Amino acid sequence: MEVGGVYQWKQRGEAHLFNPQTIHLLQESTKKNDYQLFKKYSSLINEQGEKSITLRSLLEFKKGNPIPIDEVESKESIFKRFATGAMSFGSISYEAHKTLAIAMNRIGGKSNCGEGGEDEMRFTRLPNGDWENSAIKQVASGRFGVTSYYLTNAKELQIKMAQGAKPGEGGQLPGHKVDEWIGKVRHSTPGVGLISPPPHHDIYSIEDLAQLIFDLKNANREARISVKLVSEAGVGTIASGVAKAHADVILISGHDGGTGASPISSIRHAGLPWELGLAETHQTLVRNKLRGRVVVQTDGQIRTGRDLAIAALLGAEEWGVATAALVTAGCIMMRKCHLNTCPVGVATQNKELRALFTGKPEYVVNLFNFLADELREIMAELGFRTVNEMVGQVDFLEPKEMEDHWKYKSLDLSPILYKEPMSLDTPLYKQEEQDHGIETVLDRTLIKKAEAALKNATAVQGEFKIANQDRTVGAMLSNEISKIYKGEGLPADTIHFKFKGTAGQSFGAFTTKGVTFELEGDANDYFGKGLSGGRLILYPDKSITYNPSKNIIVGNVAFFGGTSGEAFIRGMAGERFAVRNSGVTVVVEGVGDHGCEYMTGGKVIILGDTGRNFAAGMSGGVSYVWDVNKTFVRNCNMEMVLLDTIDEDEQRWLKQLIKKHQELTNSDVAAHVLSYWATAFKRFIKVMPVDYKAVLDKQKKEKNVLLN
Amino acid sequence: MGKPTGFLEVKRELPGKRDNKDRLNDYYEVEGEVNNDLTNKQASRCMDCGTPFCHHGCPLGNNIPEFNDAVYQGNWKLAYDILISTNNFPEFTGRICPAPCEASCVLGINKPPVTIEYIEKSIIEKAFAEGFVTPRIPSVRTGKKVAVVGSGPAGLAAAAQINYAGHSVTVFERADAPGGLLRYGIPDFKLDKRVLDRRLEVMKAEGVKFVVNTNVGVNYKVKKLKDEFDAIVLTGGSTIPRDLPIPGRNLKGVHFAMEFLTQQNQRVGDKKISGSDIWATDKHVIVIGGGDTGSDCVGTSNRHKAKSITQIEIMPKPPKDRTESMPWPNWPMILRTSSSHEEGCDRHWSIITKEFVDDGKGNVKGLKVVDVEWKAVNGKMQPTEVAGSEREIPCDLALLAMGFLHPQHEGILKQFSVDLDDRGNVKANNYQTSVEGVFAAGDMRRGQSLVVWAISEGREAARAVDKYLSDGVTLLEAKEVGTLNLA
Repeated sequence: MEVGGVYQWKQRGEAHLFNPQTIHLLQESTKKNDYQLFKKYSSLINEQGEKSITLRSLLEFKKGNPIPIDEVESKESIFKRFATGAMSFGSISYEAHKTLAIAMNRIGGKSNCGEGGEDEMRFTRLPNGDWENSAIKQVASGRFGVTSYYLTNAKELQIKMAQGAKPGEGGQLPGHKVDEWIGKVRHSTPGVGLISPPPHHDIYSIEDLAQLIFDLKNANREARISVKLVSEAGVGTIASGVAKAHADVILISGHDGGTGASPISSIRHAGLPWELGLAETHQTLVRNKLRGRVVVQTDGQIRTGRDLAIAALLGAEEWGVATAALVTAGCIMMRKCHLNTCPVGVATQNKELRALFTGKPEYVVNLFNFLADELREIMAELGFRTVNEMVGQVDFLEPKEMEDHWKYKSLDLSPILYKEPMSLDTPLYKQEEQDHGIETVLDRTLIKKAEAALKNATAVQGEFKIANQDRTVGAMLSNEISKIYKGEGLPADTIHFKFKGTAGQSFGAFTTKGVTFELEGDANDYFGKGLSGGRLILYPDKSITYNPSKNIIVGNVAFFGGTSGEAFIRGMAGERFAVRNSGVTVVVEGVGDHGCEYMTGGKVIILGDTGRNFAAGMSGGVSYVWDVNKTFVRNCNMEMVLLDTIDEDEQRWLKQLIKKHQELTNSDVAAHVLSYWATAFKRFIKVMPVDYKAVLDKQKKEKNVLLN
Repeated sequence: MGKPTGFLEVKRELPGKRDNKDRLNDYYEVEGEVNNDLTNKQASRCMDCGTPFCHHGCPLGNNIPEFNDAVYQGNWKLAYDILISTNNFPEFTGRICPAPCEASCVLGINKPPVTIEYIEKSIIEKAFAEGFVTPRIPSVRTGKKVAVVGSGPAGLAAAAQINYAGHSVTVFERADAPGGLLRYGIPDFKLDKRVLDRRLEVMKAEGVKFVVNTNVGVNYKVKKLKDEFDAIVLTGGSTIPRDLPIPGRNLKGVHFAMEFLTQQNQRVGDKKISGSDIWATDKHVIVIGGGDTGSDCVGTSNRHKAKSITQIEIMPKPPKDRTESMPWPNWPMILRTSSSHEEGCDRHWSIITKEFVDDGKGNVKGLKVVDVEWKAVNGKMQPTEVAGSEREIPCDLALLAMGFLHPQHEGILKQFSVDLDDRGNVKANNYQTSVEGVFAAGDMRRGQSLVVWAISEGREAARAVDKYLSDGVTLLEAKEVGTLNLA
């Protein structure tokens, strides 16, 4: 075995774009605002053809008709096309995270908060005019900290379907990086590790994705909805589906997009270069006349103006720059992001190390200035006045002469350089807005009815008929509340709306504090998705003849990613109930398979049976199951949880909650349990995650020490 | 990486130096002995960086994080194998290298860097103590013969490597013993000559022949060398010192540093002294030049019990810490205080010497000096004399330590008629000179530099020689091609 150089830069090993020389040049040039020094850096990055690091190094620009550089689109207008990568607060420090955000807000670009939520204090501008708010808010499989208020504060909502460096895999934040602050922002318990599940539990098909896009558009009408895909064979077809599902932006992420905390087996062996996926996506979208409806963005080790130009010619009108921005802010490619020991305060939550962070927004601003300068120079050389007219003009690229190279000479790059035949009016970049179908949704009526509440927090009530075309009821109303009342929302029950009928998908999605929805009837999938403090009550139509506690009255994936609030459901729920719940208290009378999976907080009371694989990957929160049929033990996934006893305080609380359930829903089961409480209580099983219990016990002990 | 949090828990620490009183009475090494428990702790500070800047900063490209980890794990044999795969003489660099690796250590961004040099010394000393260092005799001899002329660190490294490739190597040295500046330049208190002899014994056992008292071009004909050997490597060093041609230069008591230092090395080595004795005892010594050679003169003068020692330098006093113009990971031009300085010496900067003053009997009795101010003229810093600052300072012994210009041209270089570069060094792109089959490495090629660069040059030149002798193929390890096998 050689010393290597694959996962670590080595003088005698594999070539890396970022090596001591390029890292130093990038940091120095951006610190000193020295464009000539930056040019040295970029030529070192660009001149790597012989080392076979990137596909783009095999391409070169054809001669164009040069124009004076002052005829080229301004830097300021190019800035809007820049984004930084999705790196969460948690994976990187607050200092590093806000530095990128401030820099991007200064130039009018977009920083990406990553999937870890964002502290609400950052939504308000600082006295000096700077803004730590991330323009792009990510909605990933973990849904950490995804609340109505969070969604309201975005210019773009990005659904992360996959990550370039680890497609098909979820992330993992080790417990030692989850400190008090991270825990708060992610709505989880400090010290307990957090798992982002590999899939989104509310997306199993393109229709599900369309639903999530719809949900998010309702939750923030001003934000564009972006879908992050990974470069892979067939991504063009997927992108077409995503465009039809009404995404506003499609991001094609390259395989070498770096995540320092990716599993070592994925860093090298998953995903494809963005050049391939981007070319395929652009060509397929053009062929299907969909290209004009979406912005195509690409990322993955974009480091120089040349990279930007090639991406534009291959079909991207926007670019994401992550690693280079982070290096500019001080990252020295330690590749120890998972150990919490980053010595320059970038990828760590250790206070002592965070204090060593020296990055400044100015440096990052300089980087994007340099990138835009370089791009404009190339545009002038090729004769493009705007980025838009440059997008997809692959005929300005040609393969480098490489007949002498033993390996390159048999490469065929023509599929990348293929230009789809088109008529003159075929759009090659985003030119028309998607029709999101949110003009006539039920929420528009609800908002009108809630006017007094929105204006003066006056209590309002109302009754509405509902049908299954009424989807995502409550999200737009909550968006309006969040705009005015921020994260705190309205006092409980300020808005009390009653619905009768069959609710469509995502009823009560992202419903915020102060809103109570009472639904008489039944509901489809995603009931209470991302519940953000509201209260949902569901009971069957008074006229039914069946026994609700034996029938499913709410569909799959209810309360997925809920962060707070409460709910009472008379009847059974479908599969994947309360997956990734991090704070909702809910009572239900039975659930299907995979209940409480990946849950990190909240309380789930089940007055009846559960399906298989209950509590898989559950690292926080508590579940109480009334196991009257003695089926629970074989259905529970015991990998991360233990079955615990219930103490007296808890018993009192539980009884009260069931009483409330009975009062609100008129539940027979609840009435039965309450009337035979002494015996019925014995059938309750408490499901407790092991790590969570350890952390709670420790907290209790520390509290006792303090009291004594 | 043995311990991810080592750098947060352990502070940088070195064994320390021998007591001043003690060490000024002998010429034994100043640095304290290695302490392997300490080394182990210090190795835990290494962060095993994803981009190890130390490994880039080291002219040899030593695999520093790897040997640090092996030391932390207590696997000294592995540490030795890793170290020796890129560095022939860790016992030299572990003692007298200015450690550019430490200057570029990532920990050095905001904390004292890892004690890489000390760890290196610990590994090689442990390796000798445990018997890991055994002659590595090539299993096949190619029958080709190579002459290496000059036995400094570049020559020794080239000889060792060429020998590993199976060629038979003879090293020629004009002095009475091999080692070059390692033997007759660097004082014993920094590099004990027993350390050098120990390495020479290993090399001899490996099959390298040493021919001393042989000055090729003077008492050994160049033609004979050409006839007898298939390839020749010139590693004669940069030996012509920069002079100070001012009035009084010919007075008695004005010497080049190297005359003084060589004599003392000869004394310690019980050798015959070349030239007439130069002593600093009871004299006012002035060392002109603020570099490492000057510092060695200070240390030697202190051991001679000089009356006073003053070191003067034309350049301004460097700052104590890095400034913006020399950011990490670049080599910082900061004020360095050597063990010799610690032993006692006045240091002054921004001073020009105008004249050596005659005592009337042909001896130097003082120096006329003047302060200078450094000002930017057309973007370049230029010294200007400060009016009224002229003065005379007492001096009985003036030592010129102002660096070296280039190799000696008379003799071997002229007789080979190799091309020279603008600075007067041997022109040898890829180590091949303008004369076929004749190679050059070390200070003779790149100009005065560090021991670690000399070793690097010797190793790279060895590859060039091996390729030349073996139809363009070499299996020797190179700076950018690894052959270390850790399976």
